[in-house]
Amino acid sequence: MSLLTSLVPSFARPASDHEPGLAVKPVYDLVENADGYALTVHLPGVAKSGLELTAEAGAITIIGRRAWKQPEGWTARYRESVDAAFELVLTHDNAVDLDKIKAELNDGVLHVALPKAEAIKPRKIAVG
Amino acid sequence: MRIVRYNSPSSYRGLVPSRSPWSGLEGEIDRLFQSALGDIASPVAAGRFPVDLYEDKDNTYVRAELPGINRADLSVELVDGSLNIRAARKTREGDREESFTLNRSVSVPDAAVQTDKISAAYENGVLTVTLPKREEAKPRKVTVAVN
Repeated sequence: MSLLTSLVPSFARPASDHEPGLAVKPVYDLVENADGYALTVHLPGVAKSGLELTAEAGAITIIGRRAWKQPEGWTARYRESVDAAFELVLTHDNAVDLDKIKAELNDGVLHVALPKAEAIKPRKIAVG
Repeated sequence: MRIVRYNSPSSYRGLVPSRSPWSGLEGEIDRLFQSALGDIASPVAAGRFPVDLYEDKDNTYVRAELPGINRADLSVELVDGSLNIRAARKTREGDREESFTLNRSVSVPDAAVQTDKISAAYENGVLTVTLPKREEAKPRKVTVAVN
């Protein structure tokens, strides 16, 4: 392991609170319509307490940490899922109005409504 | 209308810290494949979801990652030694409603499980089925006297 961390510098960096360290990209779906974007992200095992949704001028970042820890005394016989946190970064060129973003998390699915910024909405130009 | 779909958590490559030097190139190649294959692979068409099996001394546990399912559309049945988990996911897009069924079977030896005490809970998109073991199947220590 130490050989690997010396070869790949990013492995040696400790995972900060903001970066989730080892992360998996979740299944997501992004649909554009006239007023905005509807984003659906599958985050099984993530509760509201483990979810971080950050919107900055250039990117929307979603980090979901799973809430469940394997109880003492449980032995894993067969594993297919991964314990890593979910991380999704979607970049946009100020196309989204950050103040009007609405998100809700139900049953492990996050629905985010991202309204388009006024500046990029199509407008009719009257010809004088 | 532009649709971007990402169907499978690419865990083999996702388990690299996100700022690896290759993430830019990998991102580009992913997008190339997505735009080529995006229309063929409809969302969650694979119908497979990850399942984990755990055990402690009293129970066997089956955990399945099934985000976004209504409890009414979720069915767990034990038939002939097979635990069948069936789920229907309905998505609404404008006026259309699409429905996908997901299902998976795990074999459970009937002799080892108290079949009438099986319970299941669905929380945060994860279904946990608890199968209590029969007394005979619980680990017991047998001391053998040696003459």
